[in-house]
This record gives sequence, structure tokens and C-alpha cells, in this order.
Amino acid sequence: MSAKHALLGLLLHRSAYPYELADRLERHLGPAWAVNSGQLYQTMSRLEQDGLIERVDERQGARDDRHVFAITGEGVEEFERWFEGVSARARLSRRPLLVKITLAGPERLENALVQIDDYERDCAIQLKELAQRRDAVGVDGSRVRADHVLLRLNLSADIFQLEGELRWATHARQTVSWLLEEDVLWPSAQGRAEAASDRELERRGARAELFGRMSHTGLQAAPDPQDRGDGQDDGSSR
Amino acid sequence: MILHIEHVSKRYARPGKSRVALDDVSLELRRGQLIGIFGASGSGKTTLLRIAAGLEQPDSGVVSYNGERLDTMSAREQRRHRRREVGCIWTGQPWPAGLSVLEHVSLPLLIDGTDRTSAERRARASLLACEAEQCIGVEPRELSDGERQRVAIARALVSEPRLIVADGATSNLSLVEQEGIMLLLQSLAREAKVAVLITDTDASALLRADPILYLRDGRLTSVETVDEMGEVVYLPSAASRRVAPDG
Repeated sequence: MSAKHALLGLLLHRSAYPYELADRLERHLGPAWAVNSGQLYQTMSRLEQDGLIERVDERQGARDDRHVFAITGEGVEEFERWFEGVSARARLSRRPLLVKITLAGPERLENALVQIDDYERDCAIQLKELAQRRDAVGVDGSRVRADHVLLRLNLSADIFQLEGELRWATHARQTVSWLLEEDVLWPSAQGRAEAASDRELERRGARAELFGRMSHTGLQAAPDPQDRGDGQDDGSSR
Repeated sequence: MILHIEHVSKRYARPGKSRVALDDVSLELRRGQLIGIFGASGSGKTTLLRIAAGLEQPDSGVVSYNGERLDTMSAREQRRHRRREVGCIWTGQPWPAGLSVLEHVSLPLLIDGTDRTSAERRARASLLACEAEQCIGVEPRELSDGERQRVAIARALVSEPRLIVADGATSNLSLVEQEGIMLLLQSLAREAKVAVLITDTDASALLRADPILYLRDGRLTSVETVDEMGEVVYLPSAASRRVAPDG
């Protein structure tokens, strides 16, 4: 999602200078929300044009980042509307690395393995950093602070996701290593497909025969008993 | 319609407390269809499969097979139904002590009165069709998890049933093996026109199934598998979302 509603939500709590918002975004929601000043001003000027936020100080001619911004009535309505909306769908992501692995073919597979290795290592490093960051969120003081608990929760979302990525990367490394070692059939190698081994032909034959027979057993159960086959497996004769 | 489960509920009573295993579950399964159900352990998956296979009776609701109610069959008919019409694959099923792979796969036929020679001939053919013929002669404890699963499928197929239920058939398998097993179950549905009902704790293992359903606390909900952009999404809350169409 864009930072639009997150910014509105932060302004709902307290009016702020833009640089404060950038800081609060990352501090409350985690590193995935880091924005650069260009992105921030772009989003903020769009929000301002749409009448969702406004400048609340009278300073003339100052740069944008020297103004305090506040949420407008319309902005509050927009935030509430967004908050009520559905956010429950889990989406599968498209991984560029997976496309590379899939389309690598036998000649580039070794290279794909190197990339998986890098990815796996990167996941592990990021995971460690995030875990340290989560564990550093203060828990001291006489009362538990809600914002600290929620920040830990936000960081956990990234941690769980990275754990999943890491698990997949390990799996991918094992699978691709296995592919490199085994004499597997690559569908692109047209000629080799015809040279399927005797064993494969035998398996296919057995499957065609068994599955073919099974697909016809329904016909035996059809109302017309005259149509039945040799009846050797027919248990209804009592 | 080969299997029709209508408003089935099941509750397990224990001294002092009782637990709902299935709560008003309805499901229809056609020949050639591969239905996948995912849910956490304890969500009622195994109970549902046992009821579908006729191994257990529901407290309320009706299970019909090929238009015939299971609960009105005689005990003898029920036994025959279970032996001939249903193949079961249970994860972690203990291996009967002392049986070889071939004997294990032949067993359903031997119990059903088939002579040993033809039972073993059919067991070999079933193992071959499941790409597990290399397991013949191997010590059962030396089989890999994937091989063990293929042998279990061969065993479920040997009596040529029209309904297969598989509980966590791809659990604990590597991605490559998991894909192989799902392809086998898929061609079983497509080519052998068997109705296949498979469960897993993991929805991603079930992507070849259609539809994929979600079982939670004994209640079954449908899961939309494709969104408006043509991308696959899991939506356990699909049922509740339909109530609010503006979402």
C-alpha cells in the first residue's frame, strides 16, 4: 500500500512537520516504511491538493518542510472510510528470482544457484537485523507502552515474512542442487523426450491401463445390468 | 455426484467436556474432481475424511454415496462399500509388522478374497502406475517419505475405488516430491475419473485442487482462488466478505 493512509493516520494523532512524519512512519511501522523526502513531499502535496491535509501555520514563503501540517475534516473521513474497508486478502507475491530459476534451463542453473545463495544470505542478514531491532524495543518502565508493543508487532510481520522467504530459499537451494546432480529430463530438450527410458514407458503403460479401467468402472454401475463386463469383480451375485 | 455430504455435524464427548469436530458441513464431490481442504490440526479434517470414507457416522446429517445413504446400508453392505469403493491414505499410518511392500499393497485384495497370484499381479501394476515399483523388495523402513507415500497411494488404488481420501498426503515431503504426489493425484482424478478429497495444513500444497476449501473449528468455508487480476489469493474470510458486497 502507499503511505497515504498511514500519513493521514499519523496526522490524526498529532499535527506535524513533514520530517517528523517521515521519522514517525519508520519508527512506528518498521523499516519497510522508510520514505525519502522526494516521495514524502510528492505524497503530501497530493494529499494537500485533495484537501485531505492543510498547512496550519501562517509562515509565508517558507519551504514546504518548514510548515506544520494537520489533517482536515475530509481527511478524517477518508481515513475512517479506508479503515472500515476490507484488508483481509493475503496476496501471493511475484518473485523475480523464481522467474529466473524457472526459466534458467540447464545451462544457467548453476548461476541461478549462486543467486539463490545470495538471496538466502541476504534474508538471513535482514532477519538478524530486524530481530535485534525488535528485541531492542523498550519493555522497561512501570507500565507497558502500547506503542512499543505495536512496534514489536509490526516488526514481527516482517520477521515472519523473512523467515518464510529464508525457508523457501533453503528449499530452493536444495531443489536446484538436486536438479544439477540428477539426470532429469528437461522439457526443452525435444529430442531427449522421445528417448524416454523403458521404465518410464512401462510406468506410463501401467498407468494408462489401470486408470483407463478405473475410469470405466462407473459405466458398470449404470442402470443397465446387461451392459456389464465379464463380471469377474462383481460382488453383487449372492 | 459420487459423494454428497449434507449438514453433517460431529461432536466428540469426553468426560466433563465435549468438543465440536464438525459443525453443519456440506460438500459435494463429483467423479474426476480433486477437492482440497486446508485447516490447522484439530480443525476437523481427519473427522471429515473418516465420515466421507464411511469409517465413522456423523451425529446428524446425511452422507450419500452414488445416491445411496451410507447410514441405511446393512453392516455387510457398509463393509463392502469401504473395501471396494473407497481408498484411504492416512499420513503416519503404521506399517503392519512383517509385511513386505508387495504384501502391504496386495492386502486389501487378499482381505477381499482375491487369490494371492492375481492380488500380487495387480499390486505390481498399481505400484508401477504410481512410479513406486522400485520399492518392491526394499525394506519398508528404508523407504523415503516420498516413496512411502507413493506406496500408500498404490495400496489405496489397488482395489480400483471411485473415491480416494488422503489426509495430509504431501506433509513432510520436499517440494519436488510434493509436486510429484500432487501430479499423481491430479491425473488420478482426470484420467481415472476418481473423486479425490485431500487435506493438508498448508494451502500451498493444494494448489492443484479445485476448489480449495478452508476448514476452521469444524466449519467449512469456500476460498476464492483467483482474484479479479487473475492472481491466486487465499481468502479464508470469503464467506463473510460476501455478506458485505461493497467490500
